[in-house]
Amino acid sequence: MAIEFKDVSKTYPNGTKGLKHVSLKIEQGEFVAIIGLSGAGKSTMIRTINRMIDVTSGQLLVDGVDVMTLKGKSLRKFRRKIGMIFQSFNLITRATVIRNVLTSAVPDMPWYKVLFGVYSKEQKMKALEALDKVGILDKAYSRCDELSGGQQQRVALARTLNQNPTIILADEPVASLDPIMADVVMSDFQRVNKDMNMTILLNIHHVDLALKYATRVIGIRAGEVVYDGPVKSVTKEVLDQVYNGNEIPQMGKEEHQHGKH
Amino acid sequence: MASTNEPVLKTPLFDRIFKPETITLASGHSVQRPRTRAYLIWGIVLAAVIISIDVTGFDFAIIAKRGHQLAVILGKIFHPDFTYYSQVVSPLLDTIKMSLLGTIIGCVLSLPFSILASSNINRNKPSLLIVRFLLSIIRSVPTLIMASVCALIYGLGTFAGTIAISIFTFGIVAKMLYESIETIDMKPFEAMTALGCNQFRAFWAACVPQILPTYLSHCLYCFEINIRAAAILGYVGAGGLGVLINERIGWRDYEGLGTVLLMLFILVLLIDQLSTFLRSKLS
Amino acid sequence: MTVREMEKHLTPAEVYEARPKNFWTRILIGAVLLILVVWSAQGIKYNGIAAKGSEVAYGVFYGLVHPDQALLFNFTSEGVTYLTLQTIAIAVLGTVFGAILAIPVSFLSAENVVPKWLAFIFRALVLLIRTIPSLVWALVWIRVTGPGPFCGVVTQSICSIGMISKMYVTAIEDLDTGILDAMDACGCTTFQKIRCGILPQLSASFISTTIYRFDINLKDATTLGIVGAGGIGASLVQAINSRRWSMVGSYMFGLILLVLIIEWVSTKIRANLARGERG
Repeated sequence: MAIEFKDVSKTYPNGTKGLKHVSLKIEQGEFVAIIGLSGAGKSTMIRTINRMIDVTSGQLLVDGVDVMTLKGKSLRKFRRKIGMIFQSFNLITRATVIRNVLTSAVPDMPWYKVLFGVYSKEQKMKALEALDKVGILDKAYSRCDELSGGQQQRVALARTLNQNPTIILADEPVASLDPIMADVVMSDFQRVNKDMNMTILLNIHHVDLALKYATRVIGIRAGEVVYDGPVKSVTKEVLDQVYNGNEIPQMGKEEHQHGKH
Repeated sequence: MASTNEPVLKTPLFDRIFKPETITLASGHSVQRPRTRAYLIWGIVLAAVIISIDVTGFDFAIIAKRGHQLAVILGKIFHPDFTYYSQVVSPLLDTIKMSLLGTIIGCVLSLPFSILASSNINRNKPSLLIVRFLLSIIRSVPTLIMASVCALIYGLGTFAGTIAISIFTFGIVAKMLYESIETIDMKPFEAMTALGCNQFRAFWAACVPQILPTYLSHCLYCFEINIRAAAILGYVGAGGLGVLINERIGWRDYEGLGTVLLMLFILVLLIDQLSTFLRSKLS
Repeated sequence: MTVREMEKHLTPAEVYEARPKNFWTRILIGAVLLILVVWSAQGIKYNGIAAKGSEVAYGVFYGLVHPDQALLFNFTSEGVTYLTLQTIAIAVLGTVFGAILAIPVSFLSAENVVPKWLAFIFRALVLLIRTIPSLVWALVWIRVTGPGPFCGVVTQSICSIGMISKMYVTAIEDLDTGILDAMDACGCTTFQKIRCGILPQLSASFISTTIYRFDINLKDATTLGIVGAGGIGASLVQAINSRRWSMVGSYMFGLILLVLIIEWVSTKIRANLARGERG
């Protein structure tokens, strides 16, 4: 499934321009990191793809289909194929880990099963396997609020994997995590990208992590794409352009305080 | 970029009428001292008390003269007539049944309406305000009055009391529930719409697990209140212990009244303990 | 991975087998609830709508839609305005006297102020007050004061003591003694410590409790009218019993309006208090 932006712009109701004339194409299996200052438009770009935010001009095609033509049932079917990871995990904290992972199966279930929360053995096994893939199988029956931030983000990733998406969008997935867990979660993304040929499109603040794990970098400044190319070609001049001469945020600057995990 | 989030405070009405005092120090810096509101408030309270004494015909002398009557009656109440106990059991059970059924019906009915009354789920302002207004009205009619009207409609007996309790419970639980719903975390809901659920499923799977324990806790709290209310409803004919209370007082049988009150006391104590226990398990 | 981690690694199938099975607990809870509902339901006899029952229902609705306008704006002692005022007056005095009397009672029930045995006695006293329903108190007091609003005032004062002292006691027992230490350290006397260290902590809570109780007393005052303790409830019930539906409508209007306004005002005041005291 390819993602194609064709001269896409987004203007918010209060006049702010979120995106300005963005054109680019992302093929299946790429690992793309979007970098830029806060408010530059990284989040807007990600959220237009699964239409959490509407596009105001231009065309946004996913797998050949214009996103703005979808609504209601077709939009929901479309979203099944796209997984989303949030900065604040967006889990049901009181519920167990496995229940949270199972929620991604809800759209395809009959209403009476959803009402009583009845899941079949196959669904539960599939959820457990997703948890195994991210390495927290042993926490399957613990409550989410007993887990650390990094573990919760992995539960969110398991929930997304349980959905069998072809694209994973992640909006600042490691912003709430400490440096070690951030590294672990990014390497999880990398593993999923390589093993499953999954397109990963993530928003990230910390440039060093972006350069370490992604294959392609998109730099956004004030709603415009100022850099789009492989990680290898990212130089200091490029970063200065993206960050407008400001200090470039690095995760690695924060000291590792714990030993190896 | 977001501007600063400092709220601009309007000068309160009081300060606009009674302007604050400006105190200037030797260093040239000055500070505004708002006038104290205490005098105004005490003045209002005093005026209210004086007017009320006049309107209600409050007369301490009467208490002084006839106060001993109270002591006599209270004395009798605290010497309960235990032979009367067997007569109390059946109305006692009736009271429990009325409260139980009334609470359950009221709590179940309050669910859909409280969802409609929550601003984070129901984005339609007019319907939101209408539902909230209706709920306020239902809550402002005292239970006893509702019960006496029900007793006239459905005849004397426990049915009328059950209906009255259901309506009353509905009003209270719906309010407590929508206040709780407005405080829940909408983020899992957002996640579920992002993965392709429609609104109902997203609500059921993401929001309901968050409010369920609070909802059950509210229901139990209401049950506690209802037991006390149910005991009185019989006074207007709606069944339960209240009928006995009415009778005993009518016959000046204060010892019998004492027995009834004692049984009520034990019942309320037990229900409170049970309810506290269950509510602690919920959180 | 260390050897220990390798040992702990289970397969998904094994974790599934080891899952907590609470299916039967849920069935049990459901069964208990069902039994309770059935038991309650068969104890309630439905006798159908009473002889003139539907007339009553229709009458009430009719009265609400066609209230007696003359009565609404009538300023004599029959009118809605006067009765509303009377109801408010009952609640005001009941709350004020109750709050004043509750102060000594609550201090005497606080375990951090008086010895345990004394606190126990007063708590039992308060419990006794709270168990006797306000209606019963009213009926008892009628023998002393006679029917009318005065009875309502006295009843409410007693009942208010019950709830207010319970809440005051909680505030007293939650006192932050740190402030007393600070005042000690700068050399204050006991009186100064009480006046400047203890009272400010308590006053906000006391006032909030009193306002809350006033709200409740107002609603209660309308009910006490049924047994003859004055206020708008008495007239309302008389009107119902004499089937004068338009009068019923007027009184209901007055009552509902009163309750709604008071609720709104008291919520505002308590929110203001929670945000912090000014002078």
